[in-house]
Amino acid sequence: MAKPGSAALAGDRLLAYTTLAPSAFLLLLLSGVPTITVFVTATQSVSTGDSSGPFVGLDNFLWAIREPMFLTALWNTFVWVFGSVVIEMLLGLGLALLLNQSFKLRGAARAVILAPYLIPTVVAVLTWRYMLHDIVGILNVILLDLHIISHPLLWLNSPSLAMFTVIMVGVWKFFPFAVIAILGILQSIPQEQYEAARIDGASSFQQFWRITMPYILPVFLLTMLLRTIWTFHKFDIIYLMTGGGPLDATTTLPVLVYLKAFDDFEFGRAAAVALLTFAILAVLLAIYFVLIRKAEARQ
Amino acid sequence: MTVAVEGVGTPPRNREIADIHFIGSRILIYLSTLLAVSIIGFPLLWMLICSFKPSDELYAVPPDFLPRQWTLQNYSDLFLQTNFPTYFANSLIVAGGATLLSLAVGGLGAYSLSRFRFFGMAAFADAVLVSYMLPEVLIVLPLYIYVVKLGLADTLIALIISNTAFTLPLTLWFMRAYFNAIPASLEESAMVEGCTRLKAMMRVTVPLALPGIVSVGVFTFNQAWNEYLFALIFISSERNKTLPLGLANWIGRDTIYSWGMLLAGAVMVTIPVIVFYLLVQRRLIVGLAEGGAKGD
Repeated sequence: MAKPGSAALAGDRLLAYTTLAPSAFLLLLLSGVPTITVFVTATQSVSTGDSSGPFVGLDNFLWAIREPMFLTALWNTFVWVFGSVVIEMLLGLGLALLLNQSFKLRGAARAVILAPYLIPTVVAVLTWRYMLHDIVGILNVILLDLHIISHPLLWLNSPSLAMFTVIMVGVWKFFPFAVIAILGILQSIPQEQYEAARIDGASSFQQFWRITMPYILPVFLLTMLLRTIWTFHKFDIIYLMTGGGPLDATTTLPVLVYLKAFDDFEFGRAAAVALLTFAILAVLLAIYFVLIRKAEARQ
Repeated sequence: MTVAVEGVGTPPRNREIADIHFIGSRILIYLSTLLAVSIIGFPLLWMLICSFKPSDELYAVPPDFLPRQWTLQNYSDLFLQTNFPTYFANSLIVAGGATLLSLAVGGLGAYSLSRFRFFGMAAFADAVLVSYMLPEVLIVLPLYIYVVKLGLADTLIALIISNTAFTLPLTLWFMRAYFNAIPASLEESAMVEGCTRLKAMMRVTVPLALPGIVSVGVFTFNQAWNEYLFALIFISSERNKTLPLGLANWIGRDTIYSWGMLLAGAVMVTIPVIVFYLLVQRRLIVGLAEGGAKGD
């Protein structure tokens, strides 16, 4: 590193800022300015396609919190996030523990388990929509064959089942992230700890709760939080599976923003919903930053 | 769970019990892995198999697992009767463009964030993380206004630049970590030998960071290759559609486009992703091994 006060420092400073400038410019253009613009848009009565409209103060926000559709979307978002993240983390933990064992073909098993995370969302949606088809879909055929169900299920067309179905597909697509994150930390646990515990006569169940769980907990929580944030503002998989239907059963907040802006052309109201979504997200982000700082301080 | 070496150090009379326990846990591991792999892998296997079925078999109830008659009809229909090749080319341009832009701009920025500590840079690093976590639906509203105003609606340029809103933070964040792992002392000794800082960076640090650059490039490419919302909102004409947008528009119109063609399309979209990851996997391992051999 450069020494303070030297001529090299001035050169370094110039280099530091010039190499950073293009990134700063693009991020300001694509994230900073847009975020401010949304605030302005949210205080206007503006239709989609126009760049501005009459100032209406907080009317759009007041509309949103009184609008039943918004409350439905809020509740749907909660179900979607909670359902997805809990299942993803449990499944992720289970499979990470499994892949942490050494056995033949482990590499191949890991590749298969990672695959859903790597494929494009549209591919996942296409495949599942074919498998979930009421009549020709393989899922109904298998479940009927096994006598688990007595008549074909309308996976995506029944309001009571659609959210479950979307969560199932979402979990399949995104749980490998949890597997990889947890597997990474599992492999860094010092093996001596287990040997010592075994000499003391601890069962594998006790070893799991006394050594494994405390060791992986910080990473587990951080992964859970990241998944919560990403699941919270996920748009494409839900929209492509159901378009928010049937009867708004899968309309989450991001889907509502899209529908308001590009189906109803109410741009101002869409901006207000987007900002309310962002406000909830900001709380999650704040927790994330606190946890990151703590983790960094511990190292 | 972790019982693999329980036999070690146990008294002889418990030996047999331990062996049974060991074999039991092995069987359990293999069975649960087999179950997990079959359930998780099935949809992709099914997609692949069904893409080779003629259309009457795709609608058969109950369906056969393997095609009675394997056919490439779906693939030839896809390429000859639809705009699939156009979508494919557009996706290559958009994902390639966003990747190059992010690597060029973000690579430099990440180097700066890794090597220097000047005023405002720590705050900027935080801002990068926040911008990566911004909801896409929040950003897309104002971007839509700008795109329309600038006359960039329905252009691939608009898609390349807007994709950068998320691929650039990704690049900055990961590249900074890669640069952090390369000791600054290597550059300093090059500078002692008469290189300028810039030369030292280009000749010493960048070659060492190459595996990192390649893998970040793949992540970035994959993200832009997947991107749907920006395309949905900015693109209106058939000749500018990307793969996710083009394919998504076919779903739900299964009376016009057969599932066979859709599944063949899904397979074709997945291939570049798989190829890229196989490529990176090897590069990553080589990179890690090299780093380990050289030591810190």
